[in-house]
Amino acid sequence: MNVGLDHYLIISALLFALGFFGVLLRKNTLVVYMCLELMLIASTLALVAFSRFNGTLDGSVFVFFILTIAAAEVAVGLAIIVALFRKRHTVQLEELNALKH
Amino acid sequence: MSNTLLQAIAESNQWWAIGPEMILGCAALGLLVLEIFLPKEQHRHIPVVSILAQIAVLVGVVVNFDTVWKGEYLFGGLILLSDVGQIARVFFLLSSLLVSFLALVCLPRTRMPRVEFHHLVLVVTAAMMLLAQSNHFVMFFVALETVTIGFYILVSYFRDSPLSLEAGLKYLVLGALSSAIMLFGIVLLYGAAGKVTLDGVVHTGFEYPVIADFLRQNPDSFLGLAGALLVLGGVAFKIGAFPFQVWIPDVYQGAPTPVTAFLAVSSKGAGFAVLLVLVLEVFAPLEGVLVPVLSFLAAATILCGNLSALTQRNAKRLMGMSGVSHAGYLLLGVVAAFSVPWAADAVWFYLFTYLLASMAVFGVMAYLAGADDADQELDHYDRLARNRPFLGAVLAIGVGSLAGIPPLAGFMGKLLLFIAAFQAHLYWLLAVAVGGVVVSIFYYFGWIKAAFFETWSPAAGGEAPAGRPVPPAPSWAGAATLAALALATVLLGFYQEPLTSWLMK
Repeated sequence: MNVGLDHYLIISALLFALGFFGVLLRKNTLVVYMCLELMLIASTLALVAFSRFNGTLDGSVFVFFILTIAAAEVAVGLAIIVALFRKRHTVQLEELNALKH
Repeated sequence: MSNTLLQAIAESNQWWAIGPEMILGCAALGLLVLEIFLPKEQHRHIPVVSILAQIAVLVGVVVNFDTVWKGEYLFGGLILLSDVGQIARVFFLLSSLLVSFLALVCLPRTRMPRVEFHHLVLVVTAAMMLLAQSNHFVMFFVALETVTIGFYILVSYFRDSPLSLEAGLKYLVLGALSSAIMLFGIVLLYGAAGKVTLDGVVHTGFEYPVIADFLRQNPDSFLGLAGALLVLGGVAFKIGAFPFQVWIPDVYQGAPTPVTAFLAVSSKGAGFAVLLVLVLEVFAPLEGVLVPVLSFLAAATILCGNLSALTQRNAKRLMGMSGVSHAGYLLLGVVAAFSVPWAADAVWFYLFTYLLASMAVFGVMAYLAGADDADQELDHYDRLARNRPFLGAVLAIGVGSLAGIPPLAGFMGKLLLFIAAFQAHLYWLLAVAVGGVVVSIFYYFGWIKAAFFETWSPAAGGEAPAGRPVPPAPSWAGAATLAALALATVLLGFYQEPLTSWLMK
């Protein structure tokens, strides 16, 4: 079987949807965070596939930018989660509801 | 061949063209260096250095408004300098200056470090200025993420307050979600536009002109349309448009007051700067789809913002929800800009009036805030006009301008947007917007009422309720800043000529 661009795109869209619904439905902050990373990785997969099939290297170069940004986001995000856990002793989203009018 | 190409790219690296951003970045690093080398008792001067650097850059940008690089593609097509980009630079610098001023008022009340705050404000502002001039989706995404990640830290800056941290987490999850959606849209556009060979140079689907060309030739491309809508979804999150406004009240309440102001003014301004470029230039061929979608978003945003602001009793949440409705009026201007070109200038005019009025209100809020920054109820404004008449007057002018009371600048901003919408034949949208303005007067007036008219409270058990301490009097610099903001708001209501002629140049 020949693996074409469409196969990569379908996988990427599936991963993206998995991540998206994970963010909306999961209750544990860390799992939500992993789902966010999954969405970025899905975009990266599509990007590499497009780059390969279009024959331009720009897409592959952009992947490095995305990885760097994702790393910065994780560094800041985990720091916030740890600081919040120290204060509230929970990372369950449904228990983090102090900000209500 | 490849040598001449490389040479052309090298010649397009004009570092002076992005001088303001570079100076801000260097100043940001310089602040951290100063903190290491200065003795501890002189650390309170470091924020002043930051403010002086911003004033210097602002003056530089205004003096060199007509740069020699205007209209040129720089850095191999990453950046396009334009008049709008220069206006955006001035807007972000003004806003960050006022945020630094608010930080001078707010931060000494806490035990939090101050230098890092100013450092982050400078970095985020530089990234916003680059964002408004980007001409390439890689530049766009990197600048946007620099802004967003900076804001994650700023929102949760009061790390000993659970509310600030919770707001930071909410902003983090929803901000990262919107970034991921936007990134997927960029990838789809890149894949759809593919590679184009013009004049021997290979262009890829990251460059704005290439995508615009592709969409013009293939307006029915599914990948292109999906990509454009996903990117606009990400931008809608930044400006707090319906249905992406859910994060606004919680994050605005939990964030420190200067950061709330920064989010409300700069982040929204950056969103609209980007939206105008994307919608009017890059995605313009998709007008048939975008106009109905954006019109619906504008109407829903105006209604949702105004109706949910009605029930808010917390001043920061109220500013958040009223900010949503302002985003709705601005979206109305963006929709009008499809057929009436000067509507884009009206959007910028509105953003400037919004900057002046919001910063005046946030300034008063910063002086009134107690030890708990998230706890700013409207009831705390009781007797403000009697205890601190100056703060009361500034609040009245700021809130009045936000509401659009006639002689003030906010009224002119709304009037220009509505005239543009009228000329663009958006009658039903205009009706929704006018209805929204009428509703908004109710809650804005409630705020003024809390400050100016004493509420009669039944003294339970014959005892007077424990009053809040009288807010501190502003220092002369603070009073001068607030007075300048209020004065500018009043003057712009009478003489719009200087600002409009500058915007329309």
